[in-house]
Amino acid sequence: MKSKRVEVKLSLPVVAPLLDVIRELSCELEKTLAAPQALHDLDQDFRGAWIGELLAGQNSDLRALLSLFDGEFFTEGVVAFDESNAEPIVRACTAFRLQLRERRLKTLSDEALETGDIEMAGLEDQVRKAFMCYLFLATVQELIIQHLDSSIIGS
Amino acid sequence: MEDAWRVVVLNDPVNLMSYVVMVFKKVLGFDETKARKHMLEVHEQGRSVVWIGHRETAEAHVFTLQQWHLTAVLEPDEKQAR
Repeated sequence: MKSKRVEVKLSLPVVAPLLDVIRELSCELEKTLAAPQALHDLDQDFRGAWIGELLAGQNSDLRALLSLFDGEFFTEGVVAFDESNAEPIVRACTAFRLQLRERRLKTLSDEALETGDIEMAGLEDQVRKAFMCYLFLATVQELIIQHLDSSIIGS
Repeated sequence: MEDAWRVVVLNDPVNLMSYVVMVFKKVLGFDETKARKHMLEVHEQGRSVVWIGHRETAEAHVFTLQQWHLTAVLEPDEKQAR
């Protein structure tokens, strides 16, 4: 049976500027976990290996998301999700969103971030761009979870 | 008898509810109802014990949940320790 694949046409003028933010976040996350974890119960050597493996996985996921925005995206505005990239991309969206909140959206309350009830016109340019990126990544996640969860994200 | 350990997931303000449900289903094998119950517990009470058992398996679950960027911690199971 052919596996399910979802293609999405994105607005190039809207999404392309957000890629600069995503690339910057990717550099920031190269050596940092998006969600720092308490690992008090592990001995030091094991803890180092544990964090190293989490970081390697995180970087691999971020590369999967960045690879969505290749030549086809810039010519057609289309990105595609299937069983080969859905899970890493969903995880990468979370990593980027965590980093956005931590580094770019500190001026916004968690409640505002959760409800999305924010007056965009009142935000500084950099914060507005970061918030749009935050919403865009959530939309990508929802899209994958709603359309592909049971069929390509094994449960 | 070996000590039992708990896998506890803590609330965070970023992850979508649908995402947390999906991760619980995938990583812990929960059905939709159980996954939603634990997700709501995390959301409303700040934490949920999602698994109890041997340390080695508990560590594996914590690691996988952390790969999905949930805040997960390992705790000794106090009930058994009493």
